[in-house]
Amino acid sequence: MSRQSSSVWAPSRFAGRFFVSVERWSRFIAEHAGQIGLLIWNMLAACARLRVPRRDILRQLHIIGIQSVPIVVVAAALIGVVTSQQGGYQMQSQIPLYIMGSVVVESVVLEMGPVLTAIVMIGRVGARITAELGTMKVSEQIDALQSVGRDPVEILAAPRVLAMIISMPLLVSMANLVGITTGMISAQYTLGLGQETFFYGARLFWHSYDIVYSLLKALVFGAAIPIIAIHMGLRTSGGAEGVGRATTHAVVFMTLTILVIDALFPPLFLN
Amino acid sequence: MSVAGNGSGPAIEYRGVFKAFDEPVLSGVTLSVERGEMFALFGPSGTGKSVLLKTTIALVTPDRGDVMVGGESVYFGGRDVLERIRRKVGFVFQYAALFDSLTVFENIEIGIPEENLKRMGANAVAQRVWESLELVNLDPKQVLGKLPSELSGGMKKRVGIARAISGRPEILLWDEPTTGLDPVNTAAIERLITQLSEDLHVTSLLVTHDIEGGLDMCDRVAMLEGGSLRFCGSPDDFRASDDAVVKAFIDRKAAIAALDTLEIR
Repeated sequence: MSRQSSSVWAPSRFAGRFFVSVERWSRFIAEHAGQIGLLIWNMLAACARLRVPRRDILRQLHIIGIQSVPIVVVAAALIGVVTSQQGGYQMQSQIPLYIMGSVVVESVVLEMGPVLTAIVMIGRVGARITAELGTMKVSEQIDALQSVGRDPVEILAAPRVLAMIISMPLLVSMANLVGITTGMISAQYTLGLGQETFFYGARLFWHSYDIVYSLLKALVFGAAIPIIAIHMGLRTSGGAEGVGRATTHAVVFMTLTILVIDALFPPLFLN
Repeated sequence: MSVAGNGSGPAIEYRGVFKAFDEPVLSGVTLSVERGEMFALFGPSGTGKSVLLKTTIALVTPDRGDVMVGGESVYFGGRDVLERIRRKVGFVFQYAALFDSLTVFENIEIGIPEENLKRMGANAVAQRVWESLELVNLDPKQVLGKLPSELSGGMKKRVGIARAISGRPEILLWDEPTTGLDPVNTAAIERLITQLSEDLHVTSLLVTHDIEGGLDMCDRVAMLEGGSLRFCGSPDDFRASDDAVVKAFIDRKAAIAALDTLEIR
């Protein structure tokens, strides 16, 4: 009897746990989506009312844009070298060497430039924003701002998002240029591929739209990174440990989001 | 005596305020603070005193109930009403909550409402910041250009108070202003609270664990316990109360006895 009842109840217990799990995840996703939606709406409203301090936008442009140039340039230079080396290794004696020009240019412009710049910016800027706002949240500085009638979205969130949206296309353009240059130099020294041959290959498969695609990616990544970073920072609770936890979660969330957006781009914009 | 709002009712009125995080913290608190009075709120740690204080200007939103400030609803009055209420309330945070990247001058300046900043002009703003620092017994010449990290704990608290009063509020909310201070600094801050309440003619609502200080300074006191109001009355009535939980807050021996007999952890 007991065996029969346990066999009857086992599937329903499993189903119960399954539905509880689904309910918990659904609520979790809906909560984040709702809060992010509200954050975006409030930022748009702040921009429309011209309530975003210009001084703060300029300050964030310096921190987010100008101070990120060295690390983006170094990362882009290495991307170019690696793409050129790997391509050369895989294609040696299989296809004409001038194809390397196209491989390097297309890889850097369409994929490596925007995505790796975004990953670098997640570490340098996204994590910083979450930690900064998270610390302000747990030390009641956000409450203090609200208590004196200032809106944290206008003063803290909007300048960071605007600065990132302006900076990312510029940084990705720079990364593309540096990556292509170092890829070309690397191909010259290791594969013996001359500049003219490199650019001949690059022009063969080049579409002007590729640069639009690259900058569009940069723009979307530039909006997604700070929005997630700010959202996670403003949700922080639980002191120093909470700030660490929020920053880690934010980095994971931002990285996954960038990779998902990157995966959605070809079917949406390349076909 | 200055009053909060234009009507005649209480300065602050909590109407059935209910708030739960994982567990209920406030279970329908109803309480009034009259205009011009100094009111202290006592209670065990984690019983919702600071949460109740924060609902006054919507830093924490209650799940049910409403708060009236100067006769206006904080939660049903709309954005403009909330902004108006925040302009007439100064909030002193437990650990000062100064902005790390701003100087003392900038920290205090931000307490002045934006429209006043535009109207006043740079000289009047500087004058207001200077006066606010003098009111909290700090030497403006010494601290104006410093960052919060260069100040002692007591000085940070005073700068936090200076920020709260720089907008010349009608109501001051004090969230455990003497926490973490030595007895001398505690006495100095308590004297400052009384002095500011008299000089600026404000309504003061003080959340504190310093029972003696609160009883000496305030016109009325209340006690929260388990998210509900356990006591509300004059300091003399509080001292004379027969309630075991209230007694435990006044008398150390009663507190130790209460650990065994009451559900206090």
